[in-house]
Amino acid sequence: MADRIPVGTLRSIVQLVRLLGLYARMDVMWIARARSTAVTFYLAEWVLGFGIVASTWLLAERFDGIGPWSRAQVVFLLGYSLLVRGVVDMLFGWNVAHISRRIGRGQLDHMLLQPVPLWVLVLAEGFSPLSGSGLALSGGVVLWLSGEGLGVFTPALFVLNLLASVAIVIGFSYAWASLAFLAPRAAEEINSSTMDLIDQVRAFPLDGLGPGLLGVLLSVVPIGYVAWLPARSLLGLTDSPWLVWLTPLAAIGIVSIGLSIFGRGMRHYRATGSTRYLALGHRR
Amino acid sequence: MQPDRRDISRSDIAVELIGVHKRYRQRQRADSLRGLIGQLRKPEFRIVEALRGIDLSVRRGEIVAYAGPNGAGKSTTIKLLSSLLAPDEGRVRCLGADPVRDRRQYVGRIGAVFGQRTELWWDHPIRASFEWKRVVWDIAPQRYTRALDELTELLDLAELMSTTARELSLGQRMRADLALSLLHEPELVLLDEPTLGLDVLARRRILAFLARVNRDHGTTVIVTSHDMAELEQLAGRIVMIHRGEIAFDGDWSSLRRDVNRHRVLTLETDGARAPAIEGAQHRQSAGNRHEYVFDAGAIGLAVLLDRAACQCEIIDVETHRPPIDEVVADLYERWQRGGTAD
Repeated sequence: MADRIPVGTLRSIVQLVRLLGLYARMDVMWIARARSTAVTFYLAEWVLGFGIVASTWLLAERFDGIGPWSRAQVVFLLGYSLLVRGVVDMLFGWNVAHISRRIGRGQLDHMLLQPVPLWVLVLAEGFSPLSGSGLALSGGVVLWLSGEGLGVFTPALFVLNLLASVAIVIGFSYAWASLAFLAPRAAEEINSSTMDLIDQVRAFPLDGLGPGLLGVLLSVVPIGYVAWLPARSLLGLTDSPWLVWLTPLAAIGIVSIGLSIFGRGMRHYRATGSTRYLALGHRR
Repeated sequence: MQPDRRDISRSDIAVELIGVHKRYRQRQRADSLRGLIGQLRKPEFRIVEALRGIDLSVRRGEIVAYAGPNGAGKSTTIKLLSSLLAPDEGRVRCLGADPVRDRRQYVGRIGAVFGQRTELWWDHPIRASFEWKRVVWDIAPQRYTRALDELTELLDLAELMSTTARELSLGQRMRADLALSLLHEPELVLLDEPTLGLDVLARRRILAFLARVNRDHGTTVIVTSHDMAELEQLAGRIVMIHRGEIAFDGDWSSLRRDVNRHRVLTLETDGARAPAIEGAQHRQSAGNRHEYVFDAGAIGLAVLLDRAACQCEIIDVETHRPPIDEVVADLYERWQRGGTAD
């Protein structure tokens, strides 16, 4: 197997592992620099996590479920959506998920001056297992509170769908972030908008929407894959058991499109560079 | 065995730019509502020629000052050499590599410092930034320890190691940034305005440090700055760029000779009245001291002194060249009027 992988790729993977270790250590140092910082930070993350899921949870409590979803299944959906967002924060923190900020502020130069492939930096630089884990922990607790899952799906399928949902969020973000290559100032915050859009819609059961709107939410604006479809298929609420593979397949497509658009943006950046530079936000 | 980088006798070129062109498209903004609406339909662009066929080569171990007025193309050149930009036409080769195509390997062999930016981790102690560098650049432990010890001593960083970057003064931060950029012992160092905003003492320390790194390790240094006196102190060669073209490439004395042959002559005489000396222009007098300016290429000092001695008794004589900043200011002024360096 190993002899089929090119040496350069193998070296990059080794480099990725080393960098993940480095950023994990730096994250521990950052969060542990003062006890008050750590406490405040986690408290804020828990409040934020509760705020994101509160409205849907209250609706589910009031009506004992939403549509075909029981109360416990709605809580599972909320936990899953929170976990996706938490994993995004944990793996792609420090404006790696919000890459439009780095592009728009001219901070991509800092990445290009490192002797590391860009894809390795994207996968490593935002790794913050402690400071980024607040929402992921909240998501885990909400999932546990739902009481759903055991015996319904295999953990491997759950993890696969979870990672696919995370990849879709990143692919979608990077596709839109590419606008910042063309208009650095105007599109600097476009990833805030894409993340807000995902945050606002992902925690709602999308059943009952017309096929047109649902089609949009499963293609052009692929928020349906962030929580609704994977949670639905994992809980066995779909007609076909094969739908549990749809989110991973969609992830391959959306990440490919995102990378292709981002690659074009990078070629543009190589030709024009950045005329802006703001120091804010590329170093924790 | 590693080649001795101080040996530059074998056509050992560190940087080579051949016929490099770089153009930017600059969007033109209308100043009326009608114009704005028209531009929404059909945007207007102006092509800015940042570099117009630059040819430049730098030997290994050289320190080259790269200067020019604002917008001349200095930063574009540094970005091309740092792998951050690709040329539109022409060829860029640095350390035998194509900076953009071979980016990963190439940037591992260079150090880059941009005066307004920092590579230090803002909320971490300086030592953590150095450790970050060690891992990302994959520096061998022995080499890392040796380089860190040397840089800590030369740049007097020992007391700053546990301080976070956000708590450092500008001068301290720049010293730490310089150390960070040199920790992997790069073969080529690119410095874009490295002393911007620093006080005299901090500048002097950094200049002395760069000179020592060049001397001890044979590191090639390309440095841009608006402070000509600073560049003259550091670099043996000055390349001046104007409107995207190299307007001067040579040593400092040639620059002075070609651009400004004026000398200042101060005479102390026995009287308060300044003697009128043919071939020299009287600038000012203070008591018995009289200051003149003359063209050293047109008339000799001895002739002027003879002419002055006919009119009064000369007690003391001083002559000096104008400061390099004045020479370069003259040159920029000439460029603005449409002339060239020669």
